[in-house]
Amino acid sequence: MRTGDYKQTYGELVALIDSPPVWLWSAVLLLALIAAPYLLNSYTLSFLMIILITVTGALGLNILTGYTGLISLGHVGFLVTGAYAYAVLVSKYHMPPLVGFLGAGVVPALASLIVGAPSLRLKGLYLAITTLAFSFIINTVILEMRWLTNGARGIQVQRPEIFGISFDSDAAFTYLCLAIAALTLFATLNIRRSRVGRAFVAIRDNDTAARVMGINLHAYKLFAFVTSAFITGIAGALYGIYLSFVSVEGFPFLLSIEALAILIVGGLGSALGAVLGTVLIVLLPEATRLVFSLFSAQMDATFTTGAQELKSMLYGLVIILFLRFQPRGLVGAWHDIKRTWVHWPLRY
Amino acid sequence: MIKHLAAAALLLSTAHLAIGPAVAADPGITDTEILIGDVEPLTGPPALLGVAASIGHKIAIAEANAAGGINGRKIKYVLEDDGYVTARTIQGVKKVIDVDKVFAMIGISGSGQSIAVMPVLEKSGIPTVIDVAPVKFLWEPPRKNVFVVGQSYEEGIIHLINFLADKNPGRKWGLITQDDDYGITVRDGFDSVVKAKKLNVVYSGNYKKGQQDFSSDMLQLKESGAEVFLAGGIIAENIAMMKELEKLGIKPVTGIFWPGRIEPVLKLMGPAGDGIYAVDYVEPFAGTAGKAFLEKAKPLVSEAEFKGINRYTMTGYAAAKVLIAAIERCGKQPTWACTIAELEKTKNVETGVMAPISFGPGVRFSNQKLQIMQADAKTPSFKPVD
Repeated sequence: MRTGDYKQTYGELVALIDSPPVWLWSAVLLLALIAAPYLLNSYTLSFLMIILITVTGALGLNILTGYTGLISLGHVGFLVTGAYAYAVLVSKYHMPPLVGFLGAGVVPALASLIVGAPSLRLKGLYLAITTLAFSFIINTVILEMRWLTNGARGIQVQRPEIFGISFDSDAAFTYLCLAIAALTLFATLNIRRSRVGRAFVAIRDNDTAARVMGINLHAYKLFAFVTSAFITGIAGALYGIYLSFVSVEGFPFLLSIEALAILIVGGLGSALGAVLGTVLIVLLPEATRLVFSLFSAQMDATFTTGAQELKSMLYGLVIILFLRFQPRGLVGAWHDIKRTWVHWPLRY
Repeated sequence: MIKHLAAAALLLSTAHLAIGPAVAADPGITDTEILIGDVEPLTGPPALLGVAASIGHKIAIAEANAAGGINGRKIKYVLEDDGYVTARTIQGVKKVIDVDKVFAMIGISGSGQSIAVMPVLEKSGIPTVIDVAPVKFLWEPPRKNVFVVGQSYEEGIIHLINFLADKNPGRKWGLITQDDDYGITVRDGFDSVVKAKKLNVVYSGNYKKGQQDFSSDMLQLKESGAEVFLAGGIIAENIAMMKELEKLGIKPVTGIFWPGRIEPVLKLMGPAGDGIYAVDYVEPFAGTAGKAFLEKAKPLVSEAEFKGINRYTMTGYAAAKVLIAAIERCGKQPTWACTIAELEKTKNVETGVMAPISFGPGVRFSNQKLQIMQADAKTPSFKPVD
């Protein structure tokens, strides 16, 4: 009888999925996600699209902040760069959408190289401030390069058609978002269990010890930064397509804070945490509205006509509650539940 | 095994709750009610615009309901806040269409938000009247189900600059604009008149959205010797500019644009705002039509809402009147197709707050007549200029 979660071989230790029930439930989740676009109405489906796009972006940030322990307050800068790269390539220069997605990854990655090369020698708050400055600078650059970006007028973006498959409908676009989010999840999980991923975690846990072990801190930090920016840029392209209109105004600074909130609430350093954090943060205002609407129509009206103020308050409250009562985030809570489930009625 | 079955049952129950019922054709109508939906910025700084527009919709709806509703059906107004966040506008519109199942849409946030939400509106086919986003993309090319009441920013600014240029021939000009879509439109309109009338522009500035301090900009304006000034800010920016000019002891002939033409702005400007010119397509509250509108509105809204009335209330009111009239003309069983057809037939509809509104086959923009008005700091109000 299985009495614990023991790993006996190196292969078991690095396995992505380590038990048949997890395989089963992963398959059920995948099937549910495939069926969702045909079962949900357009409004509910919009939440699924936002969740999948945000998961992609949060997984990108998780490589930098969760795995490597570097704080970025300016990731919205890479998001907007990715969105513009896609919009310029596809809408303005009529390139194929796949080239657009490649550009949406490469352009922010190059930008991160330029920002990261000097600034990654800084740590903690200094790096956070540098990335924050980047997010403001990139907005000004976009607004000033009117010949390329249309400046403040923004660029219209159509839903793509790839290999003859149109992603014009919400259902089809959800599948595209799902495919990219799933690919990103697999990529980040694989990075985490590779030599590079272990180097990231070593830097996060103790950079002096990592250096003693022969890890080139600057090179690995830069690699984490570039990878993170690449993935965030792809998420930016998806977000731009979702909005159908790319402008600087569509990417407010608050998105950077929301992304950090997702990682904190989900559980820093875990891909599963980034997914769970995204689901909670995206659905929290709607779930709260639904709960309160059960009690009175007046409360429902307060939520619908003051939604944005209440949303900001809810985010703040949730972050405080998690930091105080569940610092390991949702993934920590999930592990506790899983342990209780497996061992019940025994305590250990 | 039992644990996994229990978890599966829980999952299926949750899924069942999340799945909505199938969409019926032309929703939003019962035997007693017609639902009209709207998404506006009701929180954050742009709430000044969104709340006022929603009050305009409420006034028109209350007026129609007091008269018995639309062919016996009362109108129910479904309002959603987007906080001026584009992603939330898209979700808000989807919510009122798919979950609240409204019959028609009205209003819809700002210009960027309306552009982003256009594919959703087009795909749904719901009759829509937009009243707060005067950008050409919304009506060029014309969309079957989307109608726009108002005037373009570009036409507005051309009208204002032509007026000021004719009134102040041979003077030196100064201009400052915001670094966004609004600012670019103002600048493009200004530049087109500068070329046509060969105006002597001695100062041309650009400020970052959200800028508070205009001391150096206004000092540069003073040193340039500009005698006519186009203040391209919206609300707080124009107030700060006028206060700064007052401090510097200069009073150029100043023009502002309609997004900032609201009475609380004049109050905050104080004497510095006296005599500034503005362009708009809605009636000033100090005029006969404006006073009549306020009289009409008073019994129909709460005291707090009455205090929140500004020019956007008039734009909202006019658009709602046009939509309600179109649905009403469809008789006892209105449909989307009929409402769209009737909106297209809208011809010289009088709303009392702007020039008569008309659309037509392939014409989805009402192209409202513009007028110049001047600020009176004592009242404080804007008065029409003959």
